[in-house]
Amino acid sequence: MAFLELTNISKVFGQTPAVQDFNLQVEKGEFVSFLGPSGCGKTTTLRMIAGFELPTTGTVVVNGNDVTNKPPQKRNTGMVFQAYALFPNMNVAENIGFGLKIARKPKDEIKKRVEEVLAIIKMESFGNRYPYQLSGGQQQRVALARALAIQPQVLLLDEPLSALDAKIRVSLRQEIRAIQQKLGITTVYVTHDQEEALSLSDRVVVMNNSKIEQVGTPFEIYNFPKTEFTAQFVGTLNSIPATVRHAANGELTVDSQTLVTAQKLAGIADGEAVMISIRPERISFASEGRKPNVLNIKVENITFLGSIVRVQVRAGEHLFLMDTFNNPFLKLPEVGDKVEITFSKEAVLVLRHASQI
Amino acid sequence: MKRIPLFPWILIFLGFLYFFLPLIGTLDFSLRLVKDQITLEAYKNVVTSARFQNTFTYSFIMALWTIVAATLLVTPTVYWVHLKLPHLRPIVEFITLLTYVVPAIILVFGLIRIYSRPPLSLLESEIGSDFLLVMGYVSLALPAMYRSVDAGLRAIDVRTLTEAAQSLGAGWRTILLDVIFPNLRVALLSGAFVTFAMVIGEFTIATFLARPAFGPYMANLGQTRPYESTALTIISLALTWACIGMMQLLGRGAQGQIAGTR
Repeated sequence: MAFLELTNISKVFGQTPAVQDFNLQVEKGEFVSFLGPSGCGKTTTLRMIAGFELPTTGTVVVNGNDVTNKPPQKRNTGMVFQAYALFPNMNVAENIGFGLKIARKPKDEIKKRVEEVLAIIKMESFGNRYPYQLSGGQQQRVALARALAIQPQVLLLDEPLSALDAKIRVSLRQEIRAIQQKLGITTVYVTHDQEEALSLSDRVVVMNNSKIEQVGTPFEIYNFPKTEFTAQFVGTLNSIPATVRHAANGELTVDSQTLVTAQKLAGIADGEAVMISIRPERISFASEGRKPNVLNIKVENITFLGSIVRVQVRAGEHLFLMDTFNNPFLKLPEVGDKVEITFSKEAVLVLRHASQI
Repeated sequence: MKRIPLFPWILIFLGFLYFFLPLIGTLDFSLRLVKDQITLEAYKNVVTSARFQNTFTYSFIMALWTIVAATLLVTPTVYWVHLKLPHLRPIVEFITLLTYVVPAIILVFGLIRIYSRPPLSLLESEIGSDFLLVMGYVSLALPAMYRSVDAGLRAIDVRTLTEAAQSLGAGWRTILLDVIFPNLRVALLSGAFVTFAMVIGEFTIATFLARPAFGPYMANLGQTRPYESTALTIISLALTWACIGMMQLLGRGAQGQIAGTR
């Protein structure tokens, strides 16, 4: 039995479904992220785990106990909010000790625990400071410490890094992951930032339009998206209409040029129109070495992105993006040049819609 | 060379005359109890008068009770409206503004009519009358108190703070007392000072409920002793200004002390 089980969860606000058919099992110590655009239902689902929203249907079970109808204060879930939510009238130590004080722990125990978690977040000397005396990153670390202090069964984080600047976001997310692994705490993390979800999680739940699109490891989600939405939402993607030429051999036609996919095209008839997707980084210039698929293209645009150079190319009426590592000793074609690009059979994914899975 | 704009300065000067000339006249008059002398005699007479001390003390105590009652009524109500019933905010706001629409004389006659006969004969006892006076003052204080608390709650992220406290195991009582009230300190003090200034000078309700309050005393003094009455006006104004000064001071101290994302 999983540590956290969400079974047939749905939530309807008025006439609007916010979450539908949500089923998920999270193992003890696992780090799961809900990833999706605004309004997809990820925060509502998290709030149902926390107890701030009651599901319209379904059950929430934590460690074998059905907590569906329990109020939030009786669930023992630690929550970290995007807006930090530190109590402005309390200093750092009082904020962290708040949950323990409510649990009526002895003063000595509270003091010891506060010191422990302050050490975990590396802010030992900040106990007497007030929230307004801390930076955003420090405030969020204190909020994390406060949630950890009560030793929650499940740690819930609702876009905790969204309000921070890019550099702090990266360092704090590494810190969150390190602490989570060290404490082995079951964690559910909500984000709309794919990089955050992919870098932090054991598994990612991709959501769209109040439903789960795909659940998988970051590797699976990125490399083997099962739906067009997942493929489009996670990473940059070329989506190109194609026609199946010979399904048994995985042959497709794009702009009268033949491509081959390694994917089995079971259930798809010859002549059927499909959508294929190819990640930009999986395409290279044929001059660097040919792979099974080769397309004749015209270079439309070249954008320098630092470590990567993004090239926009045209094959007939279709535009592709391709990424190549910035190598100062490699001569790139120029805008207007006609060259060949190449990619492997495995790079070509034939996508179906979520409803077809 | 930059020209100094004349017109705004003329307006400022006229405004100054409009507001301060009557005050200067009142101050001057209050210092002329003894012929051809500038003296504080009128102030001395007022401050040493037993009626001044008794009525001021009485109104001071009533003001404190009013502040406590208004705080306990308004804070949880506005908090709940912010948290759970935001669509009711215009209605609550309208109710608090009724005080401006219903004159105090109507309010006090309503109170007398309902509470002077059984089953709620509150006016038959001193405590009952004081209670009614405080309740009357609470309704007069509603607009100021509501606006202060509302502004205070808008300045903090009420919902997230409440949810953060809930996730840490706190019940409603703890949330209100340990999280919400302390963070409304400045807003509550500001509402309290306005209420205090209003109660100290209130005349209508206290007169018709026959309570020994400071407002009726001031009016009575005005009819019989003009110099002492003007001295009292200056004292009363000084008290109001002191309250406003305290509000400014506390409000300035609170700036920037609200953490979180902005």
